[in-house]
Amino acid sequence: MMAQASPWYRRLGGGALPAILLLILMLGIYAAYEPSALTSFGISNLLNNAIVLALAATGLTIVVLTGEFDLSGAGVVAICNVMAATLSMGAPGSMGTLGLVLLAGLLVGAINAYLIAMLGLQSLAVTIGSLIVCQGIALIILPAPGGEVADAIISGVTGDLLGIPIAGIMFVALALAWTFLKNTRWGLAVYAVGADPVASRLSGLNVPTTKFIAFVLAGLCYGGAGFVYSAEIGSGDPRISDSFLLYMFAAVAIGGTSLVGGRGGVLGSLIGVGILTVMQKMLFAIGVAEFYTNIFNGLIMIAAIFFGQLSSLVARIALRRPA
Amino acid sequence: MSPALQVNAISKRYGATTALQDVSFQLERGQVCGLLGENGAGKSTLVKCISGVIRPDTGEILLNGEPYRPRSIVEGNRRGVSTAFQELSLVPTLSVVVNLFLPHPERNGLGLVPTRKLEQRAVEILEEHGVRDIKPSVLVGDLPLGMRQRIEIVRALQRRPSVLLLDEPTAALSDREWLFGLIDKAVAEGTSILYISHKLDEIRRLCSRCVILRNGRKVMDSDVESMSNDEIFTNMAGRSVVETFVSRAPAIRVGGAPRLEVRNLKGPGVEDVSFKLAPGECLGVAGLEGHGQSSLFKALIGLSPVEAGTISVDGVDVAIRSPREALKHGVALVPEERKSEGIFSDLTTMANISMPVIDSITRFGLVNRNAERRAVSVVTPSVNLSERFLGYGIGTLSGGNQQKAILARALISGAKCLLLFDPTRGVDVGAKQNIYAMMAAFVRNGGSVLFCSTELDELVHLCDRCLVMYRNAIAGDLRREELSQDRLLSIASGFKPRPDAGLAAVSQKDAR
Repeated sequence: MMAQASPWYRRLGGGALPAILLLILMLGIYAAYEPSALTSFGISNLLNNAIVLALAATGLTIVVLTGEFDLSGAGVVAICNVMAATLSMGAPGSMGTLGLVLLAGLLVGAINAYLIAMLGLQSLAVTIGSLIVCQGIALIILPAPGGEVADAIISGVTGDLLGIPIAGIMFVALALAWTFLKNTRWGLAVYAVGADPVASRLSGLNVPTTKFIAFVLAGLCYGGAGFVYSAEIGSGDPRISDSFLLYMFAAVAIGGTSLVGGRGGVLGSLIGVGILTVMQKMLFAIGVAEFYTNIFNGLIMIAAIFFGQLSSLVARIALRRPA
Repeated sequence: MSPALQVNAISKRYGATTALQDVSFQLERGQVCGLLGENGAGKSTLVKCISGVIRPDTGEILLNGEPYRPRSIVEGNRRGVSTAFQELSLVPTLSVVVNLFLPHPERNGLGLVPTRKLEQRAVEILEEHGVRDIKPSVLVGDLPLGMRQRIEIVRALQRRPSVLLLDEPTAALSDREWLFGLIDKAVAEGTSILYISHKLDEIRRLCSRCVILRNGRKVMDSDVESMSNDEIFTNMAGRSVVETFVSRAPAIRVGGAPRLEVRNLKGPGVEDVSFKLAPGECLGVAGLEGHGQSSLFKALIGLSPVEAGTISVDGVDVAIRSPREALKHGVALVPEERKSEGIFSDLTTMANISMPVIDSITRFGLVNRNAERRAVSVVTPSVNLSERFLGYGIGTLSGGNQQKAILARALISGAKCLLLFDPTRGVDVGAKQNIYAMMAAFVRNGGSVLFCSTELDELVHLCDRCLVMYRNAIAGDLRREELSQDRLLSIASGFKPRPDAGLAAVSQKDAR
């Protein structure tokens, strides 16, 4: 008997297939109720709404793939937001602010990475700590909502380039960057470490370094998310990112990435972000009152995860059949 | 010329357990040296020390005469030491190709790992090693265990090591000749091999020398040729093959209802089994592996559903749907897989033992430490478990002491009927004697034991009666006077008594 190659749907990033179907379904419903949905304005609007979560969820996905957790994302977004709101009108200017914001993200990521990958502390506990510290620092930098983000940043991030929304370009860039990274040695190691840390170690992979890089990259992504977020709201608010955390995890889970690591990928999470964003729009377009939307959000999330599991179950049963 | 590998007095401790103590041996160039020992004798620890997974506490290793202190597997690989691990070090979610080339697969100019190109190379490498039925693009997790084992071996071999460590490489292998061919070829090319196995025939086929470990110490290092199977067994087990069992008077209490009665029991892997177990009786269950013993025990304790038939305890029909319910009826199981089913490895030995009675030693919902100690100290003497182990995490204890603790747990629950599944597997000789003594005392006091063992001599010497299972049903029921290893084996193999045919198989079985 010749062992069979992996079926095509497995190669498509684990459990992402049901998420894609769900996204298409919801886009269809949304477009049926809201004719402007598929105009270039509607799409650009959608992308701008989704890109912040996309950046943050990308970072989280990388960490989750290695089998760890990272709650610090919302805190980093908060710090970066208040930094942008206080710095961008001053001496650093737009590009300087971007640099500083990314540096802040990198720094938080590196601290997490050191504590977790090198000292072996539990990631959940460490990143709860850094989340709270980050939120505290954000409050010190900007105690109350306010500040102002430079117009250059706002137009630069929310505008178009050759008629293509910048947010869309960033989406594609994230997808391409991940497709590239996951085929590098480090990318393979990420999946290996998340799936089976013991076998990875016995195979000679450097488990701590792999995790270290993952946390640092995640910090960078959160920094980027904070920067783009600032451009979209145009001011600073130390608390507004608090609800972010759950949506980040939701996007990762809906996108089919296993929360215990080793399976899934950024592409799935981007689709998960799409689902969460379109879902809000769809519910609004249908006319569901706002105080019901959370219930739907939660239910659709559970349904999405259920279908995600279903597809792997089907794959297992298919495998068990004699070839 | 200096030997390929020289190990000088290395020791390694884990908590309360000494895994290796003062072990020294040499592996000459181009030699295949067997490494034998029972479970827990320290073989795998030795392999891990040499391959670079762990570092020994003391002692030194020389590789081709030069000091060798690997800090990681990668360093070991670089120095020419390659290992096929017993627990298989393949990552299930990656493809065969990627696994073959871990940890440092080739990169192209962009820094990407060119999977397609590597697939080509993987096919060549696999074919070179006589593997033609595995497609390299398949995920390792989708392959059966036997195929994974072959990939693990090919991966270790394709690095062209000067020292190759094979840790029980045939555990899941159906075609052993394939491996033997590869080993012969590697040796011809000058590779030196340390071959770990339980199986004597393999050692005889491959190795010129063998080293035997017992309880972390080297007890023998000699030519294979000059040793009889008996000698090898004796050294592995630290006792002669035919152990001198202390005979005991039967303690069966006649009259009254049987402690456990099973009538026409059917379930997954159990076909129409009926038997009676009297108070004070030790009833054996013999059978070759996979003939329903394990399923029978699972059905009795409520781990698998009973499809038909009845179980009664002390004359009353009972429905046992979970081990918890079984315990309520006074039936306790000592499971087959100690590590995964028996112990809570992160808890102390004390907590592991007191688990069944934890409700009765609490005050206001909190565990009363003094009451716990009192309750535990009632049962520990009967298994001869030293009090000093109680405070240690049970995971750091030796297999024998872990097993004693599990037996103590079964006793503390007040069970009247113990189901013991191979309680002496991977247990040192001293602990074995303690376990036998505990069983004898238990039946003397009116308890009943259903005792499944893969070691036939235990059944012959300890049981009042012995059931033999064949194809999930009971094929024989022998009284004490009728018991002999040959009879058990012939019934278990499904043919009429034929003593000569039996013996070879016995030694194979023991070797496993």
